[in-house]
Amino acid sequence: MSEQLLIDRLTTLWETPKNRYGWFATVDHKELGIRYVVTAFVFLAIGGLEALLMRLQLSHSDAGVLTPEAYNQIFTLHGATMIFWYASPILSGFAVYLVPLMIGARDMAFPRLNAFTYWAYLLSGIFLYISPFLGQSPHAGWFAYAPYTLRDYSPSLGMDFYALALIFLTISTTGGAINFIVTILRLRAPGMAISRMPLFLYSTLTVSFVILFALPALTAACMFLELDRRWGTHFFRTAGGGSTFLWQQLFWFFGHPWVYVIFLPATGMLSLIIPAFSRRTIVGYPFVAISTILTGVVGFGVWLHHMFTVGMSDIAMSFFSAGSMTIAIFTTIQVFAWLATVWRGRPVPTAAMHYAVGSIVMLVIGGLSGVFTGVIPADWQVHNTYYVVAHMHYVLIGSNVFPVFAAFYYWLPKMTGRMMSERLGKWSFWVMFAGFNVGFFPMHALGMMGMPRRIYTYQQGLGFDGLNMVVTLGAFVLGIGILLSIVNLFWSLRYGTLAGPNPWNSDGLEWSTDSPPAPYGSAHIPLIASRHPLWDDFEEEDDPDNDRTLDAGRLTPVTTWLDAAPIGIATIPEDSLAPLWMSIVLFVFFICFVLQMVWVGLCLLLATFLIGCFWMWPRTEKEIA
Amino acid sequence: MSASVQIPPPRTSLAALPIDQTRGISAMWCVIATEAMLFVCMFAAYYYLGNNKDRWSLETPPKVTYAIILLAILLSSSFVLHWGEQQVKAARFAAGRMALWVTVALGVVFLALQGFEYYDHWKELAPYSDSYGSIFYTITSLHAAHVIFGLMMLVYIGVLPRWGATARTPHAPYHTVAIYWHFVDVVWVFIVALLYVIPVFQAMHHGH
Repeated sequence: MSEQLLIDRLTTLWETPKNRYGWFATVDHKELGIRYVVTAFVFLAIGGLEALLMRLQLSHSDAGVLTPEAYNQIFTLHGATMIFWYASPILSGFAVYLVPLMIGARDMAFPRLNAFTYWAYLLSGIFLYISPFLGQSPHAGWFAYAPYTLRDYSPSLGMDFYALALIFLTISTTGGAINFIVTILRLRAPGMAISRMPLFLYSTLTVSFVILFALPALTAACMFLELDRRWGTHFFRTAGGGSTFLWQQLFWFFGHPWVYVIFLPATGMLSLIIPAFSRRTIVGYPFVAISTILTGVVGFGVWLHHMFTVGMSDIAMSFFSAGSMTIAIFTTIQVFAWLATVWRGRPVPTAAMHYAVGSIVMLVIGGLSGVFTGVIPADWQVHNTYYVVAHMHYVLIGSNVFPVFAAFYYWLPKMTGRMMSERLGKWSFWVMFAGFNVGFFPMHALGMMGMPRRIYTYQQGLGFDGLNMVVTLGAFVLGIGILLSIVNLFWSLRYGTLAGPNPWNSDGLEWSTDSPPAPYGSAHIPLIASRHPLWDDFEEEDDPDNDRTLDAGRLTPVTTWLDAAPIGIATIPEDSLAPLWMSIVLFVFFICFVLQMVWVGLCLLLATFLIGCFWMWPRTEKEIA
Repeated sequence: MSASVQIPPPRTSLAALPIDQTRGISAMWCVIATEAMLFVCMFAAYYYLGNNKDRWSLETPPKVTYAIILLAILLSSSFVLHWGEQQVKAARFAAGRMALWVTVALGVVFLALQGFEYYDHWKELAPYSDSYGSIFYTITSLHAAHVIFGLMMLVYIGVLPRWGATARTPHAPYHTVAIYWHFVDVVWVFIVALLYVIPVFQAMHHGH
């Protein structure tokens, strides 16, 4: 068969029709990955605007921009949006787009599940954002400590929206994690042994397992909260024998591993971007891989450090203090691997590299203030002050937002096929970098001076005014920096030079496909001979006998999880509307729950199951091929 | 570019490989892992709420008789289902299908009997009585929800077409649902041990 015939055949098999049906029914990981990234970026913008509103309110003492209730609602929405609907989904988005390309598979292991998790993610976000239009947003902080969240103190529907939106999102996130685990462990191209996986896959795999074991605690906590609010149970109500700390225990048992969920994939991105622009392989690949896994494991043993002021036994606190500091060792291993890579390489100062190196700087600052707050007596001093706010934002923006921007500049040419402006990108970086540090560094000082966090205003004469104004100015500069990159994106879509398959001369398999990649990825399933497929002299797609075309249907090879020896052929399902319908029915189910229409809700759950049956129902011989 | 270790993989022919039917099973193990963790959180909440309460469930420990009968029903259903799976694997589809419906029947009996137990128990303890009642009913009814979901999946397998007609055996989906069912049974073992048997022993101990 000629090459052109093969390509036509694969395109017919894999292409989603470009009409309305195709738009809603697509299961193509590239399409869904881009949607994930765009949606998460919209949530970043929404959360960012909320942050700017809060900063206006806090810019000087006794300001009246927002009422206390409005401030609490915006402050809660900002935290929940950034932590749940931006920070993790944006990384999932890159992973959905990149993982199949990086491992040489033609799609994810469960493409329809992939579509479902996207729609469920989008609809859970919309579900949460119904609440501000009712004027009843959650207002107890993203951490939602009981007893503020109970009916007596939060009679509005806000906390119901919070708990149910999180349970909805949990379904989506867990589904996504299962999809990544099976995809990464089973669908790697022949020869991509576990010792040859790109480091981004190590971090995605690790956080997927972390999600499986950490998220149930959040689900349980939110279930208890709804039961307490709606059915008069006594989980958090001390009068009936409940415990308000039960919420904190469950929430932080989930909450701290979640920090690594939104941190590790970003470090995985840095472990690909920094070597690519240092023009050498990463230093200490096995150490980076192992410390990634260990961060995920030890991350389960640090949650009590959020509760050092609750009053616990010294033994428990010492253990968790030690655990918190142990984490720093694994992060340090990664940081030194990156530094050594730059040191021993020939760094190229691209915009992506600017963001990558900038994020190391801020990650180190945030990491060090983290070690500081891990020390119990120091924590008692700065607990609930702006010091913690500074620490948290240095870690989250330093190790999530900046790596994500590095990833934008690095991988967007692959997604859009066009290069972004390097000059504007560097401008954007410097404005963001300056704005961020001007905005957040003074918070350390404010915290030391005793400014408490989670307050809507402060009185004149406490000495907080000047620094808070600086913080607000910095926040706006940061916003302008982000805006520059958005402008850059739209500019590149129209005027950017064509990228070609491998504009950065990188090593990963994703760069062997066209930009943007064909719907089927590679026409010939690649064989992998080393850690850096595009930097070795082995020809991955050399297939003279057309043995690895797999063009008899929507097929991709299945391999063993350690050595990636081929053992089977996976059939990939076609486009379907079932995932969209299932997420819509679930959305209506949660709405019914808010409205306390329990029986309608249960019928909708049954409908969800029936849609699932329709989704899984075997379709004739076509898929067997 | 610095050179890296380069070992080309053996060129096995892909075209001759069988159709993969194991991804669903891998995914089910992940589902089981996360669901198991949900029950671990529930049990942790049970002990956390019971911590420092000297009268935790001791006044009226739940009647262990029901729980043991329920355990016997669920465990025997697991054995039946496992036997059925062996039959399907050996392409004896009628026997496999029969075992599946017997399992469904046992599951329904389980739910009915648990409903009866609730009816009996409710007179002394309700979810809104105190935190013990809250967590007791939450754990047991969450388990019941898992039983219902397992039953629905078993029915789905029961009505699936292609029992022996094509290259794709029903063994993979059968196995996938079976491991979920066994998981639900194992959870009940833990519930019986932690929520029924141990409190009864503690009550006896306190009685003397």
